[in-house]
Amino acid sequence: MKIMNCPLNGPRNISEFAYGGEVKPVPAADAPTPDWADYVYYHDNQPGIVREWWLHVPTSYWFVAVRDVTSDKIIATYRPEEAPP
Amino acid sequence: MAALRKGFIDTGKIAPVLPALALADFSLKSRTGFKGSGAASWLAAQGLVLPDDPNQACTDAQGRMVARLSWGEFLLLGDFAGLEKAWSYESAPMCFPLPRQDSHAWIVVSGEVAPKMMAKICGIDLRPQVFPKGAIAQTSVARLNAIIIADQIGGRGGFHLLSDGSTSQYLWDCLVDAMLEFEGAPVRSEALSKETHGQTDAQG
Repeated sequence: MKIMNCPLNGPRNISEFAYGGEVKPVPAADAPTPDWADYVYYHDNQPGIVREWWLHVPTSYWFVAVRDVTSDKIIATYRPEEAPP
Repeated sequence: MAALRKGFIDTGKIAPVLPALALADFSLKSRTGFKGSGAASWLAAQGLVLPDDPNQACTDAQGRMVARLSWGEFLLLGDFAGLEKAWSYESAPMCFPLPRQDSHAWIVVSGEVAPKMMAKICGIDLRPQVFPKGAIAQTSVARLNAIIIADQIGGRGGFHLLSDGSTSQYLWDCLVDAMLEFEGAPVRSEALSKETHGQTDAQG
């Protein structure tokens, strides 16, 4: 079983987590529609190291994971209010 | 007139004497919660002693339990009606009630062999040397989301399990099945509640 370290709950089976998409800046409320469409519908989907939102489902706790999507190795996880490692 | 409460679970056959591994439905007992960035400071101002870190629980002088589920979320097991009355939107900034009475079933497992039984349905190591009294795990139990709190229940080690009321009958049946090989059995809540949370079913 693959293990992920939740910043709130510690190491847990990967089955307890849900993927929430790439971390990217939220457009301003009055940003043009294409900017919002890009934010909602499009993803970079590039190989390499990316920052992603993940949810620990039993606690409904959202956090950020740094993951190498080429090797599927989880490099770090941290609370969203913390600075990235 | 006190509101009538109905349990979530059909407990089935009840053991006449307390077995070495016992299961009880505490769902009729009182519980509540508070959440928000101001929850810790408001609860402390009301005189509650709070655990310093998330996933820790402590018991007060009246036997009630305060469980800290995250930096700003608290689950309160026992009669905290005074707190619920004291709360108001104006007097408790960034602190909001999180009622648990009708959302979560409260099941108790008691017995020194409880960690061994729980290992069949939960991936977390719940042995007392790594999961002592007051430890909390919010995880998957029998593939359901559940809160597990280690405690001394009925004078021996055990766990409080809080899980969604709508699936609690399934969880109860899984626990009854898992405890069969340890000769465990369901008991009435009174058999385990004398030393727990300072309340009786009549109060709860």
